[in-house]
Amino acid sequence: MTDTAMAATALGKRFGRRGGWALRDCTFRLPAGRVCAVVGPNGAGKSTLLALAAGLLAPSEGRVTVLGTDPASARARVGYVAQDKPLYPQLSVAETLRVGADLNPGRWDAETAERIVSAGDLDPRKKIRALSGGQRTRVALALALGKRPELLLLDEPMADLDPLARHELMGTLMARAAQYGTTIVMSSHVVAELEDSCDHLLLVGGGRVRLAGEIDDLLAAHTRVSTATGSTVPTPMDGSPDGAPGGLPELAPHTVVESRVTGRQLTALVRPAGPLPDDWRTSAPSLEELVLAYLRNPQAAPLTPAEPEEAAV
Amino acid sequence: MTALALSPDASKTTGHAPGAGWLFRLHRPALYVWIAVVAVLAAGLVWLWGPLTDSSAAAWREYNEFCIKRGSCHYDPDAIVRYKDVYGYTTGALTALPFVVAAWAGAALFGRELEHGTAQLAWTQGLSPARWLATKLIVPTILVTAGTGLLVTLHRLMWSAGDGRIDTAKSWYDNLTLHTNGPTTVAFALTGLAGGALGGVLLRRTMPALTFALTGVAATRFLADQLMPHLWPAVTRVTSLDDGYRSAGLGVDSGLVTATGAHIADPGCGPTSVSSTCKTVYDGLDATGFYTTYHPESHYWPLQLTTTALVVAVATALAVAAFVLLERATATPTRGGTEASV
Repeated sequence: MTDTAMAATALGKRFGRRGGWALRDCTFRLPAGRVCAVVGPNGAGKSTLLALAAGLLAPSEGRVTVLGTDPASARARVGYVAQDKPLYPQLSVAETLRVGADLNPGRWDAETAERIVSAGDLDPRKKIRALSGGQRTRVALALALGKRPELLLLDEPMADLDPLARHELMGTLMARAAQYGTTIVMSSHVVAELEDSCDHLLLVGGGRVRLAGEIDDLLAAHTRVSTATGSTVPTPMDGSPDGAPGGLPELAPHTVVESRVTGRQLTALVRPAGPLPDDWRTSAPSLEELVLAYLRNPQAAPLTPAEPEEAAV
Repeated sequence: MTALALSPDASKTTGHAPGAGWLFRLHRPALYVWIAVVAVLAAGLVWLWGPLTDSSAAAWREYNEFCIKRGSCHYDPDAIVRYKDVYGYTTGALTALPFVVAAWAGAALFGRELEHGTAQLAWTQGLSPARWLATKLIVPTILVTAGTGLLVTLHRLMWSAGDGRIDTAKSWYDNLTLHTNGPTTVAFALTGLAGGALGGVLLRRTMPALTFALTGVAATRFLADQLMPHLWPAVTRVTSLDDGYRSAGLGVDSGLVTATGAHIADPGCGPTSVSSTCKTVYDGLDATGFYTTYHPESHYWPLQLTTTALVVAVATALAVAAFVLLERATATPTRGGTEASV
């Protein structure tokens, strides 16, 4: 059985005693060595999830484990880059890296950190406060990678980068993941940004996990179907939550994520529960279609294979 | 709760935990400013202690010997004024020092870091939040104690050198001198540091944390002044109605003594030697004399040390509160977590 890089059980976080839940009832398991995309709209709870895994927040309920232990004990082995890339403005780039060395005695990889910084044509004597957003991201990543993390948590890492720098840094990250088996978890609200580089997906919406698993498995589990509605009287269902199984008799045994009736034409995204009729036209959804379908339909049953499915593999 | 600071979880996985090098790297300008401030104040106090005290004392001796008794003299009024001015500046600066420490701790050391997320950055490097807070409290505590301790020692030496020789010298119970002559000033500074930590962890913003720390020091100083006279048994002295109040020390209470020995409020008429009409007033009250409850100079150290202990206890409570709050807000190692993970 593969090692687990990160796992959550009924994890929840509420800010303030009477505040709303930023994350609730979150259960998933992320095997080690994967590059995992945490996807969801703004305010979905992605940052909260990553901060919980980094040990920056204490959960309100449930638990999260990283690298086989609790986040506090795993601190030295986990790298984290926050969304706004906080750095000490009064220090120069070189001094920032020296602070990284001070803070990670016995683990610090100065060479890697300096290589990441120098790839961006950054003057090491330049003060952090004088850097552009993209340059800050580079220094923040250098700090996170310099500690040789086994798990790297990146919150919206690429938002400030131009396409060229994004490509270059993503390449650095992927090379690292491949070479050292580093597990990388990165969040984004732009699905296309992560599709090429990630092999695992965690879709968070409304503070809950909607989809979790290998991207290939998730795509394979879903099918886009279209068929004529036949004798059924068309009911208005466009993106409405009552597109649940039973809404349309044709879709009955299958789990419907989203369905739409246009005239006599029925199109739907389903998780087939068995063989589909031969006269249905089927196609494989793209990752973006899949994500959007789940986000548009908050009532669709989530697909979060946890321990049981993993054991069956 | 005190075990928090002693159990840095990072050491289990890294072999050894980070020292304090990062703190010096981050706050080097503050360290230099602190050293400069202490050096300048120390130089001022030493100057006051030696040359200025001597020239002022000489001027007063000259004045008392010749100007008063013989009517012709050449004394140096500038020496007297210079001593008074420099004494005022250095004592004022030393009094202000705990507030400066509080403002810096609240704003720069804790508030700003938590507001901008650099504290969280440190926590995701090899530093646990508890160790981060412990380092940020212990190292400045050592530096603040050393610097402020040196200054109050010099102030005490300087004040003692002028005591009884300079007619306008401040009394031991003058409010500013009372504290700058002893360790209460050090304790106030530590309260500022701990208040900055709690303000930062609680409010997570620069200006609110600064305000919190400053208010904390001001409130602690105010309460210390209120409590100090009651922390050691005071002395009561009774004087005749003719003489009025005769005491030199830190006052606790005063009023009239009746024939039965009871203490009653003073109507404020004054000694009978000054105003004979007061006698009828006192007769009406059955008063036989004035009483003063006060601390003579011999109580200085007991008062200083008990007050210092009290203020240090306040500082410790603030620091412990900061640890507890931080522990609740962030992930902490689960007890027996290593067994569970095997």
